[in-house]
Amino acid sequence: MRKHLAVLTALAVAVVAVAVVALSSSSAKTAGSKAGALPASATASIASASITEKPGENPVGQQLYGKKSGGTLTVYSGEDFEHLDPGESYFELDYAVMYATQRPLFTYPPNSNTTLVPDLATAMPTTANGGITDGGKTVTVHIQPNVKYSAPVNRDVTSADVAYAIERGWNPNVANPYMEYFQTLKGAPGKGGPIAGITTPNATTIVFHLTAPQAQLLIGALSLPLSSPVPESFAGPMDKHAPTTYGSQAEVATGPYMIEANPSTGVFAGLGYQPGKSLTLVRNPNWSASTYSSAFHPPAYLDRINVEIGGEASVIGPQVLKGSDSVQLDTPANTVVALAYEHYPRQITFTPGSGDHYVALDNVHGVFTNVNIRRAVWANLDRAAIVKLRGGSLVAEPATHFIYPGNQGYTQSGGAAGPNYPWNKDVDGNLQVAEHYMKLAGYPSGKYTGSETVQIVAGNNADAPAIAQVVDQDFTQLGLKVRLTEVDQPTMYAKYCGVPKEEIDACPSVGWIRDFADPLTTLFETFYGPAIVPTNNSNWGQVNEPAINKEMVTAENTVNPTQAAAAWAKVDDMLVDNAVAIPEEWDNQPNIEAGDVAGVNDLWDTGSWDFMFTSLK
Amino acid sequence: MSISSEVLLEAESASGLGEVIEADVVGLSPGRLFWRRFRSDRVAVASAVFVIVLIIIAAAAPLVVKILGVPGPDVQNVNLLNAFGLPTGPSSAHPFGVDGLGEDVLSRTIYGARVSLEVGLVGTAIATVLGTILGLLAGFYGGWTDTLIMRAVDVFLAFPVLVLGLGIAEACGFRACLDGVIQPGIGTVIFIIALTSFTYIARIVRGQVLSLREKEFVEAARSLGASNNRILGREILPNLLAPIIVYSSLLIPLNILFEAALSFLGVGIRPPTPSWGQMLSQAGNGILADNPAWWYMLFPGLALVFTVLAFNLLGDGLLDALNPRGTR
Repeated sequence: MRKHLAVLTALAVAVVAVAVVALSSSSAKTAGSKAGALPASATASIASASITEKPGENPVGQQLYGKKSGGTLTVYSGEDFEHLDPGESYFELDYAVMYATQRPLFTYPPNSNTTLVPDLATAMPTTANGGITDGGKTVTVHIQPNVKYSAPVNRDVTSADVAYAIERGWNPNVANPYMEYFQTLKGAPGKGGPIAGITTPNATTIVFHLTAPQAQLLIGALSLPLSSPVPESFAGPMDKHAPTTYGSQAEVATGPYMIEANPSTGVFAGLGYQPGKSLTLVRNPNWSASTYSSAFHPPAYLDRINVEIGGEASVIGPQVLKGSDSVQLDTPANTVVALAYEHYPRQITFTPGSGDHYVALDNVHGVFTNVNIRRAVWANLDRAAIVKLRGGSLVAEPATHFIYPGNQGYTQSGGAAGPNYPWNKDVDGNLQVAEHYMKLAGYPSGKYTGSETVQIVAGNNADAPAIAQVVDQDFTQLGLKVRLTEVDQPTMYAKYCGVPKEEIDACPSVGWIRDFADPLTTLFETFYGPAIVPTNNSNWGQVNEPAINKEMVTAENTVNPTQAAAAWAKVDDMLVDNAVAIPEEWDNQPNIEAGDVAGVNDLWDTGSWDFMFTSLK
Repeated sequence: MSISSEVLLEAESASGLGEVIEADVVGLSPGRLFWRRFRSDRVAVASAVFVIVLIIIAAAAPLVVKILGVPGPDVQNVNLLNAFGLPTGPSSAHPFGVDGLGEDVLSRTIYGARVSLEVGLVGTAIATVLGTILGLLAGFYGGWTDTLIMRAVDVFLAFPVLVLGLGIAEACGFRACLDGVIQPGIGTVIFIIALTSFTYIARIVRGQVLSLREKEFVEAARSLGASNNRILGREILPNLLAPIIVYSSLLIPLNILFEAALSFLGVGIRPPTPSWGQMLSQAGNGILADNPAWWYMLFPGLALVFTVLAFNLLGDGLLDALNPRGTR
């Protein structure tokens, strides 16, 4: 036991020493930073002022063309990539690499999140140009000739490669996560081989035959990485492995860049990509800048992009801000946002419309089966406090409905104020309104007096625990008995909130990022009853209102884009009326770069750095 | 237990009381002898005072917080966060600053003492009772009883305690374990502590019993026809009190640290109940070279350090006072 004492004394001395060091170093630092002490409103107004003062850094007005060519960019990312196969990738960090190395049929230019432009295709299909026929049931796309694969394939891309790329999405070894967008193709779902709904009359034409008039939805989905061509001769043998080794061992590129690979085999594993360590993009020698339409032609300024994977967000951030030729790919910590904003304001960008977060409420088990209790907890939730905990008004704004800014239908469903329901009015919580709905729910005192416990499962990373505590407190204030469990975020989704039979009553801070501008990609997976699955479920609250389901199908089959947006706005309104979940906030994604980098953010991809348009100063 | 007068005299003269009291020595009870020696150890007395004050503060936490004029430990106030949602430092209204939810750190540090003491004292008490019973049985009966118990203890000792603790906390963390006997949070932490620390007591008690059961007074009791239970309870156990008190008092600080470690790793005490380890963990998220929320780490850290130190020094004092033959 004496030994223990010695150890403890040493420990105590060490802790005191650390504390003293922290104390002395911080007093110097805190004295210098004054802006942190300003009231929130004052700082927020400074924020909007300084953002408009640097239009070059604003994602909407950022300069895309006519910049300096050459150089190597270092990219820091605490998080690793998940999938580098265009058929598997479904993560904003993966997308940054996918869109620089692969060419889908259509894409969004960096400055837009609503208007698609042709990438591998020669033009956007419309009724006028004969691209959309048969009342929205047939879509014809012509692809650019002379687009060449990187080594070792070295041949021209054909329409059959696009067909194979999409069809392999159904191959269980690829298991693309968004194949529901292709469900109306004739013969869908496939098994990985050809289906009747995709035909290729010649080497540069591909035709899609649908069973419902969903041409617009299909065109939107063809902007996802899945439509990037994949040569069957090369990838086919790899696709026989479970899971496929295409994109984890080897891959060929069609974009301006490629993952550095062995030119005779195409293998990049251990060379251009070392999991958990690094990824290297180099120029694709077979790429030609002349194989684009006038609407979109990536300049590809950089010669090389080195991604350094791993490290603490609190270390990476200052390293990027104070360093040169570098950007951070994943989200900077709140403390880094504050540091950047106060001392390096020209090196941080905030991209609006980067997704939303909400509290999922179990609509079919427990306390929240009662719509008025759901309305009551909505009314009492302090959404303004949650915005604060997310990092303040620069990075978030209070959410009032589910179609978030930057999506079609956002304005139609009420814009920033949202649908006009009593429980939606006060973003900082209104106890009177909440108690009113508690009374309507059958609790005369305005407080819940039943016996059921509310099981909350929340993430334990970053600001999730703090937000969970706000939710806990605001629920408890209404008399609910809450049990809060914190687990790491992947576990929260995989074991609890994404598994309906666990019957978790509430999951704070579940987040969603749309796939493309169609509101369907925001509302369908998350609130459509028949989309509920036993595991990996994304309809976390198991929302299954027949009227809402029916309205979604109507909206889905509306061909005219304006009418479709209005139909989705109606769905959004019904979701708010039914208080199926409580919106927390809409995200403005912060991204940071070094002072000598002219970074370009993809407005449509949560502000991720676009390596095809980013340059050095 | 007989105490040699030589040692006793040494202790007396060291305490400065001198020969005046020498005449009274013979008549002093073991309790008074202990108190006399303990009293003379200034460090131990200071530690004891600290511990007593801490216990009073913990017990009267609501009153203390009210007197200090700070909000309760779970009063959230996001208006105390700056424009970036970061906590603000010490001010006259919040002498220790606030945390990431705008909760008062002073208030949480005071309430955190409750958790540390509860876990330290209750967890250690359970471990001590369990360890004493098992040690007594193993040492007294010997044979296969001894083998069975001590091999089980060896197995427990072989587990990496932190990993075992993490596993149990994870298993019991979501829904309660053992039909609701072990509730998530403080219940789980106490269970883990009892499970991982009874082994020390069991081993020490067994060792002592092995030697005591061969002593003449045990022989005498047995020859007079005393039952095993009586020998264990009336003859052996009283002679074990000193080592049990000493070793369990040294276990308390270890267990307080263990709770802090579990809470730091996110499997111990759950918010909004404050615990020092949990506060340190939350502070860690906000610590950054360029913007440290030092107040958020410093105060619970100091509270933890001083509490653990006080319990350790107190345990040492008890060891010296109860076991004068021990060498320092």
